[in-house]
Amino acid sequence: MKFIKKTILSLVLLAGISFSATSANAACKAHLGDFDWDSANIHTAIASFIIEKGYGCDVEVTKGSTTPIMAAFFDGQIDVITELWEDNLVELLKPHFADGSIIHLGTNTPASEQAFWVDRATAEAHGLKSVEDMKKPGVWELFKDPENPTKGRMTSCISGWTCYTINYVKLKEYGLDELYTNFDPGSGGALDAAISGAFTKGKPIFSYYWTPTSLMGKAEIDMIRLEEPAYTAECWGAMSVVVEDIKANGQEAYVPSCACEYKDMALTKTVRADWAAENPDIAAMIEAYALPTEKVNEMLAYYVDESNGDMEATAIHFLSNDTVWESWVSADVAANVKSAL
Amino acid sequence: MIKIIKKYINYLYLILFAGLIVISYSSSKRKPDSVTELFTDFGWLNNFPKWLDAPFMIWINDWWRAFSVKYGLIFDAIGYVLLRAYSITKNFLIDIPWPIIVAGVVLLTFFASGKKIGTTIFVGFCTFSIGFLNPRFWDKAIETTTIVFIGLLLCLMVGLPVGIAMARNPRVRNVILPVLDLMQVIPSFCYLIPGIILFGLGAIPAIIGIFIYACPPLIRLTDLGIRLVDKEVIEAAESFGASKKQKLWGVQLPLALPNIMQGINQCTMMALAMVVIASMIGTRGLGDEVLLGLQQLNVGSALEAGLAIVLLAIVFDRITQAYGEKIQERTQPTKKKKVI
Repeated sequence: MKFIKKTILSLVLLAGISFSATSANAACKAHLGDFDWDSANIHTAIASFIIEKGYGCDVEVTKGSTTPIMAAFFDGQIDVITELWEDNLVELLKPHFADGSIIHLGTNTPASEQAFWVDRATAEAHGLKSVEDMKKPGVWELFKDPENPTKGRMTSCISGWTCYTINYVKLKEYGLDELYTNFDPGSGGALDAAISGAFTKGKPIFSYYWTPTSLMGKAEIDMIRLEEPAYTAECWGAMSVVVEDIKANGQEAYVPSCACEYKDMALTKTVRADWAAENPDIAAMIEAYALPTEKVNEMLAYYVDESNGDMEATAIHFLSNDTVWESWVSADVAANVKSAL
Repeated sequence: MIKIIKKYINYLYLILFAGLIVISYSSSKRKPDSVTELFTDFGWLNNFPKWLDAPFMIWINDWWRAFSVKYGLIFDAIGYVLLRAYSITKNFLIDIPWPIIVAGVVLLTFFASGKKIGTTIFVGFCTFSIGFLNPRFWDKAIETTTIVFIGLLLCLMVGLPVGIAMARNPRVRNVILPVLDLMQVIPSFCYLIPGIILFGLGAIPAIIGIFIYACPPLIRLTDLGIRLVDKEVIEAAESFGASKKQKLWGVQLPLALPNIMQGINQCTMMALAMVVIASMIGTRGLGDEVLLGLQQLNVGSALEAGLAIVLLAIVFDRITQAYGEKIQERTQPTKKKKVI
């Protein structure tokens, strides 16, 4: 009896193994770098699906924070970055574009916003429209920092990201540093949780944030963007000098200069030059890859509300319901992708 | 009634499980067009089928949304108390000039270790070196210490009674043990991020995180310590007519003290580890410096801050460990004499 049991069990196991033994004999390899925010995740999911099913490549995706992923990219361990916040990383990218080890592959999403935001209810109740309004007497008390009750809390960017230092300089230039702390939330997930927590509890929130993001796409998150002095290249340039100095030498290096709003920047794509030389057709696909901001927001909303947080399902939903991607690839690749949907 | 339930409990589980599968199937968005398809096309045996997806995520999300709105005030109150304790302690310690703190740590070590000169000098040197590595670290180390200290107090307040209850009643132990396993094994971000929604960014979710992560070893070792007290000693106490209360305070707890001290030591170490992780949710302190160094790919600065954390850990460890050894010598005096 025992023998029969064992035989049946091993037969079942064997059948299972032979079922799964269908690995693709891929001619090409692509290693995509993904980040810890959802718009990047969507682009990576779509691109990796097309590369894997359309071109039959071995695709590997590594997800992480900006710094480690970019370090691995510069080091040649990662081949493709599908969403690059180029303006935030100018200094970091410059030498690598200059020596030709990485190639710029054009715009991915044409418009993104980075700004200071206040929840709509508080903003309307107290007439907060611009950063100047935040200086009105008594306003900082709405956003009181529990750990430092003499100031309000401006939930800022993650320390170590350039935007944290930019926000530090901005608060100083706008004269807000006397009233608000430049509070480092520690990680992207924590920043999201802080904002959504404030809305759950109906508490005022004053925060740095950006779009396109799924959080901003949610119905219950309703924030207004505070006006800042308009972007000019000279002002931004002057501020960047101070910012870089502070990053290198600490906050004592601050000198008064100038401050203005973030430029609504285009998000771009980049690949390693050696990888692009080996896979010119895939590089061409990535170069053609571009989606309007509304489309990205729509996908983010689908990702959160419909897909149960399944990025691959979101990518498949996009690929099956949209045709714009077919112009990025050749007809046979498009057919391959379609048959895999 | 209970007997009947016990007899059929396995069938009950089976029914529950079957019900869960049916619910999963019917609530899934990716099920086949009709159930009969499952019996004609066996493709779903190959890969784990997408429709076999228990909708726990949806349930938890709904529950969590209602929970955080309904009981938000209670958590605000808890957060407020912890925050007050934290701010008062932190401001008090930061206002003290640093030489006095170093002297205080040295004195504490001296008496806690039973006047061991070597340990005392070593700990004093480590304390000084935290600021010596980078003067900025001094205040950060105090913030970290305060969070660890408040977390430890919370653990003691809950952990000791629970540990005692477990040692006295096996039924309580059977209920608590799986909870402890869960607390120790669940990835810390699973409770740190929801902690932000309940308590806001900063020190408070870190203290809650410490409680979840560092309390189990304290509870386990308290329980173990009390159960390891010699049966003969207990019998002797009973024969003298000691009440349950007298037995606990006069016999069990003093004899279990070395184990409890070990628990406190473990609790402190794990609390420190958690404070470092909690820098990812905006907790100030030394972990913050490590994170900053890594974000900027500044290996030197990250390692320097890492070293400061190690020094802080050594200070905590030596003090609690030395005190534990002193107690052990007191409770088991025979072992001390083997040198002669």
